[in-house]
Amino acid sequence: MNSYERVLNSLKKKQTDRVPVVPEVFGVTAKAAGYSIYDYVTSPSRLAESQLHARRLIGHDMVFAFADLSVESEAIGCELEYKEEAYPVVRKPLIENLKEIHTLDLPDPQKDGRMPVVIEATTRLRDVVADTCIVAACVMGPMSIAGQLIGLEGLLYHIVDSPDEVDKVLDYTEEVTRSYGNALLQAGAHCHIIFDPVASPMVVPRDVFRRLELPRLKRLFREFKEKGSLVSWLSIAGNTKNILPFYRDANVELATVDYTVSIPEAFDLLGDIAVNGNLRPFSFVSSSPEKIKEEAKKCLKERGNRWGYLLGSGCEVPIEAELDNIKPLVEASLEFSP
Amino acid sequence: MKKYPEIDELIQAIVQGEAHLSVNLAEALIAKGLTIESIIQDGLTAALQSLNAKCTNEEFNLLEIVLAGRAMMAVMDNVIIRYLPPARATESVPEKTLVLGTIEGDIHELGKHVVKMLLRSSGYRVIDIGKDIRPEEFVERAIQQDAGYIGVSSLLTTTIPSIRRIKELLNKAGRPDIKVIAGGGAIQQTSRDDLNVDFVAQSAFDILNYLKNLQDEG
Repeated sequence: MNSYERVLNSLKKKQTDRVPVVPEVFGVTAKAAGYSIYDYVTSPSRLAESQLHARRLIGHDMVFAFADLSVESEAIGCELEYKEEAYPVVRKPLIENLKEIHTLDLPDPQKDGRMPVVIEATTRLRDVVADTCIVAACVMGPMSIAGQLIGLEGLLYHIVDSPDEVDKVLDYTEEVTRSYGNALLQAGAHCHIIFDPVASPMVVPRDVFRRLELPRLKRLFREFKEKGSLVSWLSIAGNTKNILPFYRDANVELATVDYTVSIPEAFDLLGDIAVNGNLRPFSFVSSSPEKIKEEAKKCLKERGNRWGYLLGSGCEVPIEAELDNIKPLVEASLEFSP
Repeated sequence: MKKYPEIDELIQAIVQGEAHLSVNLAEALIAKGLTIESIIQDGLTAALQSLNAKCTNEEFNLLEIVLAGRAMMAVMDNVIIRYLPPARATESVPEKTLVLGTIEGDIHELGKHVVKMLLRSSGYRVIDIGKDIRPEEFVERAIQQDAGYIGVSSLLTTTIPSIRRIKELLNKAGRPDIKVIAGGGAIQQTSRDDLNVDFVAQSAFDILNYLKNLQDEG
């Protein structure tokens, strides 16, 4: 059974030879391949090479077409600050007055910012793995892109002070997620992960998620699915217990849950939706391979006899972690065969 | 003591983040004869306690806290400050002074702003030294400002080596008495030992409680 079959069978709640291992490994893969984070986020060949090299070393079941959280906002026009060994960040909000949103063009994924970098990396990854392993393309959700365009503090005030204007901003950012997501699919991605950290209940109340985020996720996942995306995957970090019951309505098929939500709780709250998680991301930096294997086995034990579970991290594995600390996930999965 | 039922409305308005209403209610209470001290004690402090209780349950979120912080600052800036001499609004003593910044390698400031609003509303002198700040600058500014505490904010675990240096530099400067408090984003997953600090805060209120406990002990 190859990684592609293992993941898809698991998502269909069918038996697999072992539980699939899918930690969110992005920039952390660069160092082992001999590259800096700057190399990773700016070069399609280095991004792809890092992902493939890490998979050979770790033996996990997916590769990711993802550079960093600012690809979309940069393509729209935000100025980024680059560093050699850190992800680039938005230097300052692009718009102050929400009415300016009408002055922004939609970015062209084939031309603007580093969208072409990730698109080319996606094709390179797919060319190598073909249909033996899923290439997951990662896109930012509408609220997080809006948070970068306006600034998070500004977005939060505007949600309350000028809700109609925020709706228009989110219509625009939803379109950015859609067009970039479609381009990644055309480039060879098997599926999408939507990341939307700003939609976390740690940032906005459940009602804001339901009102502003849910209908947009629903549309995006439905359209991606219609265009051939194999799985609709949502990754929102933090304590998401009070929004997990909405995921089904948002057309989510796979949900990453953070360490603050236990595996049994996640299954209970998500119903039929598959679960990915939930090792504490900082463990991969501060802990030992032995302890990580123990934690992974605890997750596998908590999963019980349920199918539809992918062992992984509750959020991105930090870039300063060592790959030796990720390998125990595969070892645990092999030793804890279903 | 005369009862002012409107004080409960003020508490509610602040907790719900209604800045204009909070200012109007505070003004109305003063016009009715309530003292500034009572507005602070029975209004602002009570609102903080109510938020603090909310913060410990799972309904807590950044949006509500930012809005409540804005309402509280509106009452401070538009009402309280007019009736109090500046020296009384905040006390310029080490145990009430905190130098606050986002560590080098990180430019996120929202968490820092929330802490600033809450501490200022609680009578602390907060010196905000900005974002992407070197450990040396935290230490220099804390000594220069006669601060009892350094508050270091970060969303990213990549900044941990820089956070760890603050305590080392304080010890080198002969000022181990200055307490270092860290908080924000991924830092919440770490321990005091990971960061070489005196306290790792899980929320802005955690910092308030920590400072209050220190003062009660002292």
